[in-house]
Amino acid sequence: MSVRAALEWLNSCSGCEIAILNIGEALVPLLTQHLDLVHAPILMDHKYLGQRGDGTELDIPEAEVGLVSGGVANIEHLQVLVKMRERCRVLIALGTCATHGGIPALMNGQDRREGWEGVFATRTTDPGCSVPDIEVPAPLDRVYACDEKVKIDLFLPGCPPNPALIAEVLMAVVEGRDPVLPQKSVCDTCPAKREGKGAVSVVRRFLINAEFLAEDPVGRMRCLLEQGFMCMGPVTAAGCAGRGLPRCIEARVPCRGCFGPVRRDGNQMLDMMNALASNGIDFKSVVDRRSLLRFSGAHGLLRPVKKKPAAGRG
Amino acid sequence: MGFEPKIIAFCCNWCSYAAADLAGTARMQYPHNVRIIRVMCSGMVHPELVLDALSHGADGVIVLGCHLGECHYQDGNHKALARSAVITELLEDFGYETERYEISWLSSSEPDRLVKAFTDITERVRKMGPVNAHDLAG
Repeated sequence: MSVRAALEWLNSCSGCEIAILNIGEALVPLLTQHLDLVHAPILMDHKYLGQRGDGTELDIPEAEVGLVSGGVANIEHLQVLVKMRERCRVLIALGTCATHGGIPALMNGQDRREGWEGVFATRTTDPGCSVPDIEVPAPLDRVYACDEKVKIDLFLPGCPPNPALIAEVLMAVVEGRDPVLPQKSVCDTCPAKREGKGAVSVVRRFLINAEFLAEDPVGRMRCLLEQGFMCMGPVTAAGCAGRGLPRCIEARVPCRGCFGPVRRDGNQMLDMMNALASNGIDFKSVVDRRSLLRFSGAHGLLRPVKKKPAAGRG
Repeated sequence: MGFEPKIIAFCCNWCSYAAADLAGTARMQYPHNVRIIRVMCSGMVHPELVLDALSHGADGVIVLGCHLGECHYQDGNHKALARSAVITELLEDFGYETERYEISWLSSSEPDRLVKAFTDITERVRKMGPVNAHDLAG
């Protein structure tokens, strides 16, 4: 018996959909035996307002399971998301944009008006350019993660999400069981050699290569944080590990935090700063610390910098 | 009725919580605005707890630990001090005034210092007004 499934993308780059394709061999039985796709804008031309466009209300077919990628940035995203919630029994937030705001939520860190004006009219654009006010769905006041707007049953972060975990979640829904997802941090899945942070007093950006021998496996490379690089492993949820290793670490590059915080309501910037400070590392040596929220700026974590009033507050 | 701030105080079990006990038995008065949460060590107060308190409507947060060098767990209060620097630095990032947070040290035999610390932060926060008031106005 197949399970009706609906895919939907909001403020998304389609990377999550490519991750679905990337499931590989396991995708074939999923599509041919287990899932019945009833709605998927990336694959099929299913119109929101009826196939001839004669409907008056946005509609999505009913489904057992819904996969939503992307955050909520404008009115259209919100309407689609609300309808998906209405129509799907189990709603899954797929990818870091849907679970924590992702890259688009970086916008939350600056003034919205200035940001939009910068997008549509810069010094180099032709005169007369302005922010459009027709034909484009109106933006919300900031970029939201899906769970800020509707109830989400399952969170599957990642930029992109791990195909193996997508398959696991889909199979879990098909089989009516709880999915087995990693709960720990990237560090817990990282084989790099830890010898203590003793000597490190500052962290630096990854502008020079880490120290390692190319012929050695990652397990013989010293922990990148202990080498003094800003690695977000301690504050990032595990799950990226493809062939047993966290993906960036496999490439000998520090973790950038793309799976969002370890606990769902965690705060990557605060946690990282706290981890550094508790280990005697100068947290002020982090360049542009707000960028530690580059993948998890929704939930009100990333806000425009307040310009301090000339006279002190209160 | 004027504004009565809510202050969350994280008190270390070994010093400031005992000092609060002593202040009680000695019938010393301190502002009723303070809600004490007993922790085993000031070093266990994660910055997220402070931020969480503020985001749930506390108007001020104070952490009280043993005098530096007198930690029951050797170096817990030094950790607290390092974390405190992070908290002070990051509060502005999350839209709160740094003055809403304070860390202070006292021993179990100094209830007067405890009362003074509680009174000081309560009065300071009372003058600042409710937390997030600036968000609503903006």
